Amino acid sequence: MKSHAMCSNMVRCLGDGNTSLQKLATSIVFFFCLSDVSCNSVEQKIYVELNNTVPCVRLLNATHQIGCQSSISGDTGVIHVLESEADLEWPLSKGPNPPYMVLLESSLFTRSIMMKMKNESNRVAGVAVVVPNTSPPEFSPHTTCPNENTGVYSDNYGPNLAHCNTTVWNPRGNGLSYEEFDFPVFSLKEDNETEFIKQCYLDHNRAVNGSAPQYPLCAMQLFSHMHAVTNTPTCMRRNDINFSINPEMVCDPLGDYNVWGSIRPYNDTVFGHKENESVVIAAARLDSRAFFWEVSTGAEGSVSGFVTLLAAAQALREVTHEAPPTRNILFAFFQGETFDYIGSSRMVYDMENGKFVIDLDNIHSVLEIGQVAVHSGTNLFLHSDPVSRRNNTVNDEVREELFSSFFVFLLVEPNVSQPLPPSSLQRFLRAQPIPGIVLADHESAFNNRYYESFYDNAANLNLTYPSDLSPEEQLEFVTDTAKSLTDVATVVARALYKQAGGNESLVNNIKADPKIVTQMLYGFLVSSNNSWFQACHKHTGRYGVLGYLGLHCFVFFCLLEPSPPEYYYLLANLTGAATNLTQSQCQKPDELPNESRQMYSYLWVQGIVPPNSTERDSFCVRASVRLTKAVSPAFELGEYASKDYSTWTESRWKFIKARIFLVASRDLEMLTLGVGVAVLFTSLLVTYFISTKADVLFSSTREPASAAY
Amino acid sequence: MNLERLPNEEKLTLCRKYYFGGFAFLPFLWLVNVVWFFKEAFVKPTYTEQLQIKTYVKRSGLGLLLWVAVLTTWITIFQHFRAEWGEVGDYLSFTIPLGIP
Repeated sequence: MKSHAMCSNMVRCLGDGNTSLQKLATSIVFFFCLSDVSCNSVEQKIYVELNNTVPCVRLLNATHQIGCQSSISGDTGVIHVLESEADLEWPLSKGPNPPYMVLLESSLFTRSIMMKMKNESNRVAGVAVVVPNTSPPEFSPHTTCPNENTGVYSDNYGPNLAHCNTTVWNPRGNGLSYEEFDFPVFSLKEDNETEFIKQCYLDHNRAVNGSAPQYPLCAMQLFSHMHAVTNTPTCMRRNDINFSINPEMVCDPLGDYNVWGSIRPYNDTVFGHKENESVVIAAARLDSRAFFWEVSTGAEGSVSGFVTLLAAAQALREVTHEAPPTRNILFAFFQGETFDYIGSSRMVYDMENGKFVIDLDNIHSVLEIGQVAVHSGTNLFLHSDPVSRRNNTVNDEVREELFSSFFVFLLVEPNVSQPLPPSSLQRFLRAQPIPGIVLADHESAFNNRYYESFYDNAANLNLTYPSDLSPEEQLEFVTDTAKSLTDVATVVARALYKQAGGNESLVNNIKADPKIVTQMLYGFLVSSNNSWFQACHKHTGRYGVLGYLGLHCFVFFCLLEPSPPEYYYLLANLTGAATNLTQSQCQKPDELPNESRQMYSYLWVQGIVPPNSTERDSFCVRASVRLTKAVSPAFELGEYASKDYSTWTESRWKFIKARIFLVASRDLEMLTLGVGVAVLFTSLLVTYFISTKADVLFSSTREPASAAY
Repeated sequence: MNLERLPNEEKLTLCRKYYFGGFAFLPFLWLVNVVWFFKEAFVKPTYTEQLQIKTYVKRSGLGLLLWVAVLTTWITIFQHFRAEWGEVGDYLSFTIPLGIP
C-alpha cells in the first residue's frame, strides 16, 4: 500500500509537463514502480487458491458416463462441514442459503450419503472430501464384481458362474467410482489448507443459537468442467468432426503400453505362429485406480503382484543362462486391467490376428500372479477355471505339474466349482481353452480391504520402516513384507522353471533376492525418486505417475513419444545383461556384428555413482524386453459400442482448480447492481438535460468592450 | 447514404435492387429495404415513383416476415432436439457445446 501511494504521488508531482526532462523523470518513476506491483492485487485479497486438491474426472464407456462434472464457470456453494449423516438435513432441506458445498470427513464418504446428495443435486454445489493420513477400517469404491461383463464367464460359458453368482469377489465395494455425479467432487489432504477452510467455516458459517448464519458467508468454488458427454461413441464421433473451424478433442481412449520380456529373445519383426515353440506365460497386472484422478497406488491390488513377478524374473536369470529350459518363458505385464482388461485383451487380439511374436497355439500354460500380499503364515491359493478343467484332460496334467511346483507355502486349491477371480487369464480363456492358474492370497472374496481405492498404499501392506533411517537407508532396509514377497517370488520362479521343463536338480538353486524386492517396494510405494530407480533409468526425468493408466494426451498437448515407464527399465535391468557398448553404439547397435535390434532392446541407463566420484557409471543394457501398445481393440476396429472389448475413454478438460472466498448475500448484490444502474440512468438524464439547455446554463455574460482610454 | 439528396428515379432503382437482391436468400436486404424506404414510401408526400416504391417495400416486408417465421421455427426445433438426434444433430452443428449433451 505505502509504495503505491508513494509512486502515485511522485507521478502526480511530476505533472503532465511536456518537457523532455519531465518525460524522462516520469518514465523512470514508472519503471521503478512497476517492479513493486505484484503483492497487492485485488484478486489475491479476495480469493484463496487451494493447491493440494485432486478432482474426480469423467470417464465414458460404450453406454454410460461416470464420474463428476462441474459447470463451465465453476460451481460455487456455501461451505458446510458435515458432522454426521443426520446433519445432511441442513444442506439438503433446512439450510437457508443453498447451494451448499459439503465438506466431508472420510468416514462420512459413504454410498448412502453420496446418493442422497446426488438426488438433491440442485441444493448441493459440490463435495470436498478430506482424506486423512490414517485409513478407515475398509473402503472400496469399486464394484462388487469387477469386470463382470468382459471376463470369460457369460451366458455361453459357465452361466451359473457369471456375474458373481457363486462368489462375490469384492464384497466391500460400494460402487461409488462407477456412479455419475453432476457436481464436482474434490479431495483435500488433511493439512494447513484444510484447517484454514474449517476455520473459515467456524468463523462465518456456523448457525448461532439456531438462527441462520449472517452474510458474508464462506464459500468454495470448484472448477472441473469436463468436455465429453453421454458415452464413448458420441465423444469419439465429436473428436472426428473436422467441419468446424477449430476442432476440439473431447476425450481420449484409455491406454498405455504393456511390457513383456522373454528368456529366449524373439525377433521383433516376425509375427504369428512359430513352429515347435511352446511358451509358458507369466502374467501380472500393472495398474490400479481410485475414485479420484491419478492418486491410486494399488499396493495390494497390483504392486504386490508385479513386484513378485519382477523378482521372479530376476531370480530366473542365472539358471536360465546356465541351463535353458525347453520351453520359453514370457513375462507379460498388462496395463489397463482395471478398465475391462485393456492390456490383456489387446495382447490376445494381437495374438489372434498375427500381430504378436507368438500365437495362441504356442502357449503351453499361463501362470498369473494376482493379489499376493501374504502376511506370513497365510496360504497361497491356486485358482483355476472349472469350466475348461472339465473339458480338457491336458489341463489336468498341467495342473498337476503346476501344483507340484509350489512347495514352500501351504498351497491350497479352493473349491473346485469356484470361478476364476478377475484376472488377465480370463481374456486368454475367452479366446482359447488354455491351462492356467491364478495365484492369490484370498480363497474366495478378496482380502484387500481397500481394493481400487486411494487407501491401498504402503500402510495396507504393513510396509513400515524404523523411524531413524534416512531415505537411502530405508531404500535398502529389508522389511517383513519384502521378505514374504521374496518367498512368493522364489516359489513362482521355481514353478515357472519346472513348468518350462527345466533341469529338476537345479530348481533348489533358484532364490529371489530380498534386497531387490524391498527396493522395488520402496520405489513404487514410498518414493520413486530414489537412487536405485535413477540408476536403472536413462535420465533423471520426471518419473510418470505410477499406477494410474498413463494417458499421452493431457489438456493441450500430446506427448509424441511417451517416456518408457519404470517397469520397462526395471525388467530390462533385472533380466538383461550389461554390455560394454558406448552410448552411440547403444543407440545404433545394428552396426555391430553380434548385436541386433530386432532380437533385443538396447537401453542406455545411468548407473550408480561410485563412492569416490561424482560421475555416474552409465552403461548399455541389452535385454529381450519390449513394449507393446495397450489400447483396446475396440479403438483399432472403430467399434466404439463394442460389447467384447473395453471402450473406456477419459474426458478432456481445460483447467481444474479450487478456491475459497467470502460471498455476500444475493440481496446486497442486487442492491449494488440496482444502484449502479440507477446512477447510470441518472447521469444519462442529467447529461441530456445539460446538453439541451446548454445555452441557458453556460451563457457567457459579455462584458462591454472597454475602450482603452 | 442520404436519400434526401437523390433524385426520385434513383431512389426507385435502389429500392428495386434491394428487393430483387433479397430473393438470393438474403432476407437482410429486405429488412434494410423496409427500414430505409419506409419514410419514403408511406410518410412523404406523393410523387410519381412512390407507388412503385410502396409495392416494393410491402413485398419486402412480407418476405421478411416469412423468413423470420421459418428461421424461428427451425431454430427452436433444432435447439430443443439437437441432443436427441445424436449423430444427425452433431453433423448438422457447426459448434458443439462442450460438456453438455
